[in-house]
Amino acid sequence: MLPMEHLHLEHVLQTVCVLESVVLRSFGPEGGQVLFTRDTGQAMLSRSGTRILTALRLEHPLARMVVECVLKHSTVTGDGSKTFILLLASLLRMIQKTACKEPNVSHTYNSRETAEASTARHLADKMLAFALEELDDIIAMGVVPYGCCLSWEDFTAKTQLPTCPINHCVQKLLASFFHSRLGRTHCDFISNLTCEMLTHWKFKSDLPSSLLQFVNDNFSALHTPVSGFPISCSRLIEGQVIHRDFATPCPQADHQPVKAVVVTGCLQPKLLSAGEVLVLGSGEQGREENSRKESSIVQFTAWAERSLECVIAKLQSLGVSVLLSAVKQSAAVLALAAQADMCIVECVSEDELSLFAQLSGATPVSDCWMIEPEHVAALTFCRPILLGAHRYVHVAFHDSEERITVKPCSLVICGPGEGQTDQYACAFQDAIRMLLSTWEPIDITATTASKKTLQPNKSTCLHVDNQIVKASPFQQCVLEPGCVIPAGGTFEFLLNHALLQHGSSCSISDDTIMGAPAVSQLFANALLSVPRNIYFYSLRRFLQTQTRLLSFIQNHSHPFSHVYKQEHNTIVVQGRGKSECPLEEGKLINHCCGETDVSSQVFMSDSGLESVSCKYQLLVAVLQCVSSLLHVDTVLHTHTALHTPSRRLADISWEGTEDEAED
Amino acid sequence: MSRLVKKSPSLCTDLPLDNTGICNSLHLLRQLLRSCIGPTGRLKQVHNNIGGHVITTSTSSVLLPAISSSQPFINLIKTSILNHVSRFSDCGLFAAILCLSLIEQAKQSGLRGNVATSVNKHLLGLCTSYLQQQDCGCKVKLDFCSSQSLITLARSIISSKPACVLTEREALHISKLAVQAFLLTVPCNSPGIVSLGKIVTVSVEGHSVLNSAVFPGLLVDMPDVFCLNKVENLHSNPMRMVLFSASLAGDLSDLGGIIEVHPGVDTDSQILDQLLKLGQQVVKDEVKLFICQKVIHPVLQQYLRSHGIMVIERLGITLMEPLTQLTGSQPVATLHTTIPAKAYGKVRDLSIKQFGSKTMLHLQPPGDSAICTMILCHRNETMLSELKVVCQKTEHVLRLTLREPSALLGGGCTETHLAAYVRHKSMDKVTETVSVLGCSQTEYLRGVEGFCRSLESLAAALEHDGGNSLMDLTHAHHWSHPADVMEERMEDSSGFCGCGLVESSTNQKWTYLNTKYPQFSPAPLFRVPTVQPRVLDSFTAKLNALQVAVETANLALDVRYVIQDMN
Repeated sequence: MLPMEHLHLEHVLQTVCVLESVVLRSFGPEGGQVLFTRDTGQAMLSRSGTRILTALRLEHPLARMVVECVLKHSTVTGDGSKTFILLLASLLRMIQKTACKEPNVSHTYNSRETAEASTARHLADKMLAFALEELDDIIAMGVVPYGCCLSWEDFTAKTQLPTCPINHCVQKLLASFFHSRLGRTHCDFISNLTCEMLTHWKFKSDLPSSLLQFVNDNFSALHTPVSGFPISCSRLIEGQVIHRDFATPCPQADHQPVKAVVVTGCLQPKLLSAGEVLVLGSGEQGREENSRKESSIVQFTAWAERSLECVIAKLQSLGVSVLLSAVKQSAAVLALAAQADMCIVECVSEDELSLFAQLSGATPVSDCWMIEPEHVAALTFCRPILLGAHRYVHVAFHDSEERITVKPCSLVICGPGEGQTDQYACAFQDAIRMLLSTWEPIDITATTASKKTLQPNKSTCLHVDNQIVKASPFQQCVLEPGCVIPAGGTFEFLLNHALLQHGSSCSISDDTIMGAPAVSQLFANALLSVPRNIYFYSLRRFLQTQTRLLSFIQNHSHPFSHVYKQEHNTIVVQGRGKSECPLEEGKLINHCCGETDVSSQVFMSDSGLESVSCKYQLLVAVLQCVSSLLHVDTVLHTHTALHTPSRRLADISWEGTEDEAED
Repeated sequence: MSRLVKKSPSLCTDLPLDNTGICNSLHLLRQLLRSCIGPTGRLKQVHNNIGGHVITTSTSSVLLPAISSSQPFINLIKTSILNHVSRFSDCGLFAAILCLSLIEQAKQSGLRGNVATSVNKHLLGLCTSYLQQQDCGCKVKLDFCSSQSLITLARSIISSKPACVLTEREALHISKLAVQAFLLTVPCNSPGIVSLGKIVTVSVEGHSVLNSAVFPGLLVDMPDVFCLNKVENLHSNPMRMVLFSASLAGDLSDLGGIIEVHPGVDTDSQILDQLLKLGQQVVKDEVKLFICQKVIHPVLQQYLRSHGIMVIERLGITLMEPLTQLTGSQPVATLHTTIPAKAYGKVRDLSIKQFGSKTMLHLQPPGDSAICTMILCHRNETMLSELKVVCQKTEHVLRLTLREPSALLGGGCTETHLAAYVRHKSMDKVTETVSVLGCSQTEYLRGVEGFCRSLESLAAALEHDGGNSLMDLTHAHHWSHPADVMEERMEDSSGFCGCGLVESSTNQKWTYLNTKYPQFSPAPLFRVPTVQPRVLDSFTAKLNALQVAVETANLALDVRYVIQDMN
C-alpha cells in the first residue's frame, strides 16, 4: 500500500501561507531584497518572486505545483509573481472561511471535511467561470476608464519632448516595475536607460509589439554584464558587442568601411570526413595514391594548405578584413589571415551571429568557396572594447537606406558583483516582457481575435473591425493595447468597488453562497489583500487611499462612464478612420482616451503605473491555480528506486547525455 | 553511485541583519580587514589545513579569496570587493571596510532600511560630485612633465603593502622602476589610437631587491647554454628572425579521418624532409633567430644551429603577442608554403643576461617598441610573490592615471576632508532633501552622522600602534600622533598631516576623530609649489571604491530574507 496523504483545505492554505510569508518580505515599495546562495556557493540577490520561489527548493508537492503555476505565469508577463502568491493565499483564506461557515450540509457527504472541500471546490470553479466570462467586462467598465493608454510616441518622448508630462507614461510604468524588482534607489536610472534603449531601436519596426519582441528575443546578444563597477556606469553603446576577443592581432586599419564576413564552418578544408580512411601504401597497393601516384602524406597536408591560401586570397580580393567565425579555426588559418591583414573572431555564439546578420543585412556563409559580395557586411568600425575583465569585439553598422533611423545599440549592465548584474539583466528582460504583454493583451474571448490581424491600410478589414468595435466596445477595451492604471493598489481598489457593485446589481433572487453576487463579493474581498500588504506599515494609509479613491469614484462615476461610452466609440472610430491614411499608420494605437487625463491627474500624484492587462492575466491565472489546487484531494507518495531503468528513462530528458555515455 | 541525488530544501533566515550571529561575523570581518590597512598594517598568514603553502599578506586581493565563509552575507561583500579590485587594483581594503562600517553604523542608528539606503545614496552623490569638481580640496592634478608625482603615487601603493618587507630605499627603488617600466610601455610617436605595450615580469628569488631592473625589449629563458659562444658573432644588426606558432615536432596534422599506414611507408621521415625544406628556406633567407611557440624537432634544431642560427623553442603562448609586437613579425603556422617576406621580423641586438640561476636572452627592439621586461628580485619566495602582485597593481594604477590625470591626497586626509565636507554640505537645504528622500529630519541627521563616521573611521584605521587620530579644524586633514605625546604638547610635535601638505602651526585647532565637532567648511589649501604631497592615492580607484562600497552596503541593508541552498 502506498503511503497516502489526504489533503484538506487547511493543508493547502497552510502551504500557501508559508510561501506568502517568504514573499511578503520583498513585496511592495517597502520590501527588501532576498539574499540567497546557489548550490555552487555563489551569493545572489533578488527581489524577483520567481527567483525566490525556485531558490527555496520546495519538497511538498502542493507547493511545487504552486511554484510551477507562478513560473508559467511570469514567463509570459514577466511580472506579478509575488502578487500571485498573495492573491492565492487571500483567495484560499476567503474560500476556507466561507466553506467552514456554511458547508454544503448534504447527507451525501460522510464527514464535515469532505463537505467543506466540496463547497470550496465549487466556489473555486464558480469563481473561475465568473472570471473567464465577466471579469474583462467589469474591468473595462470599472477600472479602465480611470487609467490611461500608453502611446507609441511615449518611447521617444524623453529625447524629443522632455517637457510634455503625458509622455512619461512608459517611463512611469517601467519605474514602478523596477521599483518592485530592484528597489527604490536605482529604479529611475534603469527605467530611463530602458526607455533610451527602446527609443534607439524604435524604427526597427513600425509596431511596438514587434520591436519589443525583437528586443526580448535578442536580449542575450544585446547586453553585456560587467561586474566591479557601480550600477550608474551602465550605459548604451553604439552598435553591437560580440562577446569574444580577436584571435589574431586586432585591426589597425582606419579605412572605411570595414568589410566583414560571417562564416559558419572551418576555412581549412578537411581532407577526410569522419569515418573515412586514408590508406598510405608503398608501391601500387593504395587506392587513393594510385590515382595520383603519390605515397607521401605531405602531399595531402600541402593540398589542404594551398586551398586555404586560395580562400584567403578570395576574401582579400573582396576587401574583407574581419572574419566572424562560429567555430574554432586552425592555427594555419589564423597565421595566414594575420599575414593577409585580416582579423578573425572565433567561436561567436549563434545568437550573436544571427543578430549581426539581421543588423548588417549580410548572410552568413558556410563554404568560403561560394562567397559572393552579398555575404560581405559593411561596418563603420570593428575594434576591441574592454568591458570589465574581458576584451570584446565592438562593431557598428553602416547606415543603409531601409533603416536610416535605427540606431542599433547594446546595453552594458554594470553592478558590483556578478549576482547583481544578473539580477539587473533579468529585471530588464522581464520589463520588456511586461511591456510586451501590456501591449499585446492575450485574447480570451473569440470576438476580439480579428483585431490583431487588422492591417490599417486594408479597407475591407477596417470595415469589419469597426463593426466589432461598435458591437462590443468594452470587450475591445480591456484588450486595448497599452492600458495602464496608477500603481499602489488602485487597480485592486477599483476592481473591488466594481465587483461589489456588479454583485449588488445582479439578480437579487440568487443569494445562496454559490450565487453570482456572493462569488463576486468573495473575490472582491480577496483582492484587498494586495493593497493591504502594500500599506502594511500603516493601516491608516490603506484606509486613506481607499476612501480617497472611493470618493473620487462617487463624484465622477456616473456621468463619467456615460461620457466614456460615447466618446470611446467615437475615438475608436476616429482612430480607425485616421489609420486609413498611410502617413499616419503609427498613430493607430495612439489615441489616448481623452478624458482620462482628468482622472489620472487626480491620483497619479506619487505612485507609478502598472499594466491593466498584466493584472487581468494575473487574476485569471490565480483563479485557475486555485481551482486546480482544490481539485487535488490526495497525494500518493510513490517510492522509486533510483537505479531502476524505468526511472532512468523517465529522467533522461534532464539527465542529459552523460547518462547514456556511462551506460 | 547514482547521480540522481534528491535536492534538499533550502535553509531560510528571516531579517538577517537582526541576527546577532550574522552581525558578529560582519564585525569580525571588519576588525580583521581594519588591522591590515596602511603601511603599518598587520600581516596575515594564510595556510590551509593540509599543510599547503603559507602566504603572508595584507593585500585584499590575496586575503579576501582566502576567507571562506558559509555566511552568504560575507560572500556577497567579498565578491563585490574582489570585482572592484580586479578592475582597479587598488583601494580594496578601503572599499571593504567602508562597506562594513556603513552597515554597522546603519544598524546602530536604528534607521529603517529604506531610509538608510536612500540617505547613503544621497550622500554618495554629494561625495562623487565634489570629487569630480575642479576645485575639490583633496584632489591634485598629476603633472606628467615630471615623474615626481608618479613616483609618489607608486610609492604610496608599494609602501602600503608591508608584506613586501621593503626598506625605505628599496621601496623608492621599486617605485622608480615601476614608473620607468610604465613609461616604457607608452608608445612615443604613434598617431591615432594609442595602444599601450606590455610589461613582462620575471621574478628571481634570492637576490637583493636593489638588483631589480627594467629593460626595454624582451628577456627570454635560455635553458641550454651550449650555443652561448655563438652569441658573440650575432651582432649584424638588425638581424632577421622568424616566429612559428605551429608545432615543428614532426607530428601529423589532423586530417579529419583515419590514416592507415602500410609497412614500408615512413611518414615520419616524409614530414621531417618537409621540415628540413623549411629550414633550407630559412637559411637561404638569412634568418639569424628562429623561435617556435611549441616544440622543434631535434634534427631541425641541429640543422639550424649548424648554420649559425639561434634556436628558441617552447616559448609559450603568453610571450607570443609581446614578441610579435617587439619584432614586427607575423607568426607562421604553415609548413608547406614558402614563408612570405613580411612574416619575418627584426631584432636589433641579442645579448645574454644572467640573473642568479637564470640565463636569459635579451632581445632588443629594432625601433621604437612599447615592450619591456621587469626583473624583480627579492630574498624569499613569499615576499617575492607579494612584490610581484604589488608591482602589477602599481602598473595598473599608473595606467589609470592616463585616463584621469588626478590623484587624491593619501594618508587619510581625503577621508577626513570628505567627511567634513559632507557634514557641512548636507546642512544645506535640509528640508528639501528630507522631503525628496521621504524621511524625517532627525533620521536624515542620523544617517549623515553614520556616513561621516564611517569615512572618519577609515582614516583612523591607518593608525595601528595605539596612537591618536586627529583632524584639524581648518583644512580637515588627518593627523596622527603617537600614543605617548601629551595632548597639550601637540602643537610642538612639529610635523605634517597624513599626506604631507599641511604643516602644523600654533594657531591650528584639532579634534579627535569620531568625536563631535562643530561643522565647518574645509578651507582649500594655498598650494606652495615647493611642498609636494608625500602620499597620493589613485583617484579613479578610490572613486569607484567609494561607489562600490556604498552600493554594496545599500544592497546588504536591503536584504530582508536569506535562502541558503544546502545542496
